[in-house]
Amino acid sequence: MADILIVHDIDIKGLDLDKDKYAIFQASREVKPCVGCFGCWLKTPGKCVIKDSDSDFAATIPHMQEVIVISQLTFGGLSPNIKAVFDRSIGFILPFFCSIDGEMHHQQRYAKRPSLRYLLYAKNISDEEKATAQKLVKANALNLGADNYSIEFYDSAAKLLEGLK
Amino acid sequence: MKILLINGSPKSSISSSELLINALSEQLGSSNEYVTIRAMGLSKQEFLDGFTGVDAAVVVFPLYVDGIPSHLLRLLYESKDELKHIAPNVVIYAIANNGFYEGEQNTLALNMMRHFCNSADVQWGQGLGIGAGGMLSAAPIGAGPLKNIGAALKSFSHNINNKISKDNLFAQPNFPKLLYKLCVHLVWRQSARNNGLKRKDLYKRL
Repeated sequence: MADILIVHDIDIKGLDLDKDKYAIFQASREVKPCVGCFGCWLKTPGKCVIKDSDSDFAATIPHMQEVIVISQLTFGGLSPNIKAVFDRSIGFILPFFCSIDGEMHHQQRYAKRPSLRYLLYAKNISDEEKATAQKLVKANALNLGADNYSIEFYDSAAKLLEGLK
Repeated sequence: MKILLINGSPKSSISSSELLINALSEQLGSSNEYVTIRAMGLSKQEFLDGFTGVDAAVVVFPLYVDGIPSHLLRLLYESKDELKHIAPNVVIYAIANNGFYEGEQNTLALNMMRHFCNSADVQWGQGLGIGAGGMLSAAPIGAGPLKNIGAALKSFSHNINNKISKDNLFAQPNFPKLLYKLCVHLVWRQSARNNGLKRKDLYKRL
């Protein structure tokens, strides 16, 4: 069974990946945005209530060793398509709060949580945007309870794919 | 001055963003002309049309996974190349509110709004990060436990009215963190009960 999940916003048809190892999720415009209903916490805990290709995404995460996020760097963060998937993944964590280093965060739903690897691409990435993205990945890792995380920058999706092959 | 107020909450029911917009427009005063739009469901063109003749715009949104909610992010991304032609002199401000207690946890989302302004080549004004957003309906903003939020909105409004660019501001209610946490937990448990769930159901693993 696949234990590495790739969520991406690019065309990866040319990439020959071992399906026993990799699960692939295309973050497209068809993924509906989160509506802020908290149904994934209070109605169907762990699962988004919106019916589309993304409905089961949050429940897939705990079965993975690693999640690879391939996204166009957008204003120092994730692209709208990837962000729609992330926004609808909060069922992965619990609604309840805890304190980490004196700051409020969410308690974790799952004992086993994957590491996070972000591969971000864009033309002419500024140092400021890069700094925001580095802080974002750190914050995502803290909030999603990932012990290990990494970030790589590429100046195009094509170069990123070369790195994956 | 014409000011555009953008409600970036995806909720159709009353949201913290709406409460903040109401309190902000009161602080900004009656001498301005206001246009309010809800980002959810808008096309790029409808979003851009909102900026026509605008001197300042305030984007008010909830923090989603350390960033801007995807529906709003999409509109910002799709509008970035045309915004300058529609509102060349607009100054953009943003208020992000989060469910965590600390207003500072909105920093990254406010940075993203600043990067958006750089990308669109329009002036960034200031960001205001508000913590414990779940409490914003607990009292009138500016009174009781929300006195701090009112004070922050006052400074923020002054900068908007004068189109001043400044460092970000942060605030959270003058209410104990531990008590806020307990209140939110109670609300979650009560809501789950109303949905027919037992306490242990909330911890379900799939």
